[in-house]
Amino acid sequence: MKELIKYIAQALVDHPEQVDVSEVIGEQTSVIELRVTKDDLGKVIGKQGKTAKAMRTILSAASSKLNKRAVLEIIE
Amino acid sequence: MKDFMEIEAKTIDEAIEKACREYALPREKLNIEIISEGSGGFLGILSKRAKIRASVLSIDMDISGPFHEMPRSVSKDIPVETQDVNDIDIDMAETSRKMIEGILSRMGFPFPVSIKESDEYILLNIKGDGSGILIGKGGQTLDALQYIVNKALNKNGKERKRIILDTENYREKREKSLVTLARKLGEKAKRIKKPVTVNPMNAHDRRIIHLALQNDKELVTKSKGEGAFRKIIIVPNKKG
Repeated sequence: MKELIKYIAQALVDHPEQVDVSEVIGEQTSVIELRVTKDDLGKVIGKQGKTAKAMRTILSAASSKLNKRAVLEIIE
Repeated sequence: MKDFMEIEAKTIDEAIEKACREYALPREKLNIEIISEGSGGFLGILSKRAKIRASVLSIDMDISGPFHEMPRSVSKDIPVETQDVNDIDIDMAETSRKMIEGILSRMGFPFPVSIKESDEYILLNIKGDGSGILIGKGGQTLDALQYIVNKALNKNGKERKRIILDTENYREKREKSLVTLARKLGEKAKRIKKPVTVNPMNAHDRRIIHLALQNDKELVTKSKGEGAFRKIIIVPNKKG
């Protein structure tokens, strides 16, 4: 899941080398933390959070395949 | 155990869950075929139940099979082709295909993607497994993927083509059901001589409704609301 978010985020931002993703794995739910530089924050959130929402939708489709849940946190 | 069973539920997700329970198997051990996609119905009419056909995947059809057949390079860390994007000669269709395949393989769906290109758009067709998991409720997963790919490829602001994502013929089916819905609601508006409101929809779906009714002289279509809540109102012409 971590790789998935990293791949998507790197494709969206201007500074892919500064994308950092970490994953806190729980029994049922994992939390995926995405960090980008300040300049790129808007790129991963999008207008009215549309990009962030799209990433969460993709994430939940991918994790439902594994019968799990994943939460995406975008960290400033 | 029967070869397959047909299950009806309010939504596809619910039906799949039911199937898993019936067979007592996880989702990936089942072969799910969607017979009809449910719709919540509009104003209580037209509500359709979702129907699926579920069967157990045979053991030799191991799910891990296709995944391992994928070349290792695809699912491993490929640097995102940012340097290519600035290249004048880049093939946008090929880049978008690589991108979507990269996302899919990381989602655990290493499905092949084919390209159809026209002057206005690039159509990427994902050859799915028939489970509908890539489509999602009301097409939301497919739309999310499409949105991300468009965002990623159009980020440097140059005039670029629109990318349309499709799988299992979903776009065409959706368009047909929207046109049918538009006609039904149009008839209703004429019959009751009052405006009929359609559920909130995205821009693409609204466009289909507008186009479906534009030649009907007895009806006018308008949009109302903001952002994700924007919806169409079908108004019967005053003379009618």
